[in-house]
Amino acid sequence: MSTADWVTAATDVIVQRANERLEAHRRALFEGTDRLFAWLMAGQWLFGILVAHFFSPYGWEGKVKTVHFHVWVAVLLGGALSSLPIALALLRPGWWVTRHVIAASQMLWSALLIHLSGGRIETHFHVFASLGILAFYRDWRVLGTATTVVIADHLARGILWPESVYGIVNPEWWRFLEHAFWVVFALAFLIWAGRKSLREMEQIAEGGAQLEALAEHEWRRTSVLERTAAG
Amino acid sequence: MVPSAEALSNRGPAAARWLIAGSLWLLAVAGGFGALLRYASTPAPQDDAPPGQWPAATALTRSDDRSQLLLFAHPHCPCTRASVAELARLMGRFHDRLDARVLVVQPPGAGDGWADSALRERASAIPGVRVSIDGDGVEARRFGAIASGTVLVYDASGRLLFHGGITASRGHEGQSFGQQRIASLLTTGKADSDQAPVFGCVLFDGETSRARRQPHVDS
Repeated sequence: MSTADWVTAATDVIVQRANERLEAHRRALFEGTDRLFAWLMAGQWLFGILVAHFFSPYGWEGKVKTVHFHVWVAVLLGGALSSLPIALALLRPGWWVTRHVIAASQMLWSALLIHLSGGRIETHFHVFASLGILAFYRDWRVLGTATTVVIADHLARGILWPESVYGIVNPEWWRFLEHAFWVVFALAFLIWAGRKSLREMEQIAEGGAQLEALAEHEWRRTSVLERTAAG
Repeated sequence: MVPSAEALSNRGPAAARWLIAGSLWLLAVAGGFGALLRYASTPAPQDDAPPGQWPAATALTRSDDRSQLLLFAHPHCPCTRASVAELARLMGRFHDRLDARVLVVQPPGAGDGWADSALRERASAIPGVRVSIDGDGVEARRFGAIASGTVLVYDASGRLLFHGGITASRGHEGQSFGQQRIASLLTTGKADSDQAPVFGCVLFDGETSRARRQPHVDS
């Protein structure tokens, strides 16, 4: 084998090893973030029940009180909303479907919490907090899924029930674009940060692969010397 | 990473199971949100004909230089919290044109202290708003209010200008047709309608079924 062939082969090995290291790192990142969301989904379920219990514990007809519809919604719809993401995070962590289901569910949680809190404007911040947490995946496609769900929710409710989204009865047709603008504003920076972080992961993987190759080379050289000395 | 043969053979059935689970999940979530939307946008039963003129029999006094707003409230109704918040906004804007009164309805048979609630305190804290207890709901009956959150606005001559709710849905703060119409009536003297749906709890025991059976007789 010529020196050039040897260098090419060694480079291929390092590149392959760097890719393996990068994939392992990303898989660990996806699985860890999936597990984080499993906890978050469970926490949001409990939080939703508490919010419903705090804001609207009972419905009334005169002196007769019954458990408020919102409490049932928090228990049943909240439970349904969290169930599939938790199941996927526990049974199929790291699967691409898992993180996209989590992204969709997380944005639907925003809609549910906004409802349960009586449309409080402060609860709308949950949307942006969720986008920030979903950015932990460092996968722009996940943010794309989340954004699609937000847009679909805004479009549907904007047509059926505009005041629940915009807080006014007759919003201008472009009001939807104003909301979308701020989501895109946040996304632009989150995607940029995610890609930057991914490049750093690639550099770490390459550095690790080179170190491995050097260590292996050193080990082989030492072994040969030891065998030569022994022989 | 190359998947094992076992993993490959399991992928089909496993993916199908997840697909079924995902479809069921989508159905459950869509159904849940649909039910929530329907609940939030379904108004309470409402009297078709509240007194067109300020009733002579009422014990309530009326301002003769400003419009009189009455808000009938169930003291424990969570939806009415939003109505009180919207009343505060209306009063912030029209405090010089409105004399507002919140009547906390105590249904027949309710014990002492039953009307004491955070909602009553919240209403009392609004500047320019008087709050009183409507014992046995006598005034609510007289003014034809069935649901908590019912707002009636009479002009200075005692003529009914508006009746209905001032929230857009159950328990949701924010603009509503009711508020817009009251604002329009107070500023221009006209509006596209003189009523709006009420979103709130029913004020009297068994009133939901009764309201659906027979129309209210004006007193």
